[in-house]
Amino acid sequence: MRIHQQLRYFLILVLVCGSVALAATKWTVQPKESKLTFVGIQQGAEFTGVFERFTADIQFDPQDLAGSRFDVKIETASAKTRDDDRDSTLLSDDFFAVKQYPTAHYVTDRFTAKGGNKFSATGKLTVRNVTRDVPIEFTFESKNGSAWLKGGAQLKRLDFGVGQGEWKDTEQVGNDVKINFVLLLKP
Amino acid sequence: MQLKNTLTRYGAIAQLFHWLMVVLIITQFVLALRAEGLSPIKKIGVLGTHKSIGITILVLALLRLTWRLFNPVPPQPSGTPRWQELAAHVSHFLLYALIFVTPVLGWLMSSARAFSVSWFGLVTLPDFIEPNKAAFERLRDWHEFMAWSLATIAVLHLAAALKHHFFDRDDVLRRMLPARDRGPQS
Repeated sequence: MRIHQQLRYFLILVLVCGSVALAATKWTVQPKESKLTFVGIQQGAEFTGVFERFTADIQFDPQDLAGSRFDVKIETASAKTRDDDRDSTLLSDDFFAVKQYPTAHYVTDRFTAKGGNKFSATGKLTVRNVTRDVPIEFTFESKNGSAWLKGGAQLKRLDFGVGQGEWKDTEQVGNDVKINFVLLLKP
Repeated sequence: MQLKNTLTRYGAIAQLFHWLMVVLIITQFVLALRAEGLSPIKKIGVLGTHKSIGITILVLALLRLTWRLFNPVPPQPSGTPRWQELAAHVSHFLLYALIFVTPVLGWLMSSARAFSVSWFGLVTLPDFIEPNKAAFERLRDWHEFMAWSLATIAVLHLAAALKHHFFDRDDVLRRMLPARDRGPQS
């Protein structure tokens, strides 16, 4: 019986150590230097917004793409575009519907090296409870132990139902939205 | 009809500028006033057109002023009282000033609200000021004040033209209209 228990501890130890060794480096996002922004089109002109609150669980190692993973949770109510009216419209039921859907969620599936410090990833974005594949492109530059992760994605707001009723019209508010991120990572 | 102004008439180019400006400015008032009661998305559309036309007016104003610099306008009819001549000069000067100032204020006010101005979705204009709510409200008030000043002076300008036409029975209005075939003009 005792041997059995020891064996069990040993197996647990092996599993824990093994998974730590297998997982790519886990990074901590530095909130002050990191930014998650979006660019929309209104009346044919671009406008920029920012998500002031998000958490990003980043495991990334260029040598271990299979063990890498991004898991990003975005507080939709933290969207700011420097105009109060536009912000309140954005948070309303017709757009982010922040009361029902306070969080948008992005999780990567798999990473691909694109040469040099360039990478791409496929992943799933969930906004308003709608999940779609959204690929991202980014660069990873590590320096003195910390790293910059910079990249972006393109998506169509209406794929996620962001814009209900008359806001489905894309003539005044474009369907294309660009997402940009700059994250400073520390081990 | 001549392209350039003569001593007695405005040429085709000056007339085109003038009447185009009339049509565009009236359109601007219609759009701006109509936008007030519309749903948000329709408002965005109508104001988008308003901004595009406003920038068109600004560009036309520049071209028009340039044309005028190289192309003197016909003199006032002889015997015009001094005060009327002065009033005409002052109102023309103000009208020119306002077709510059009003669109520029509109442009700035849009930037102040973090809405960059797009010219018919083809060109996005630079923002010369940072988004700022207080600045936006001040610029909006000035934009409206300038627009109503423009309307007021334009109405006086129209009234003066009609007075010349119907009371003084001179050519002041007619010389800004396409010439009918009235034989050679002296």
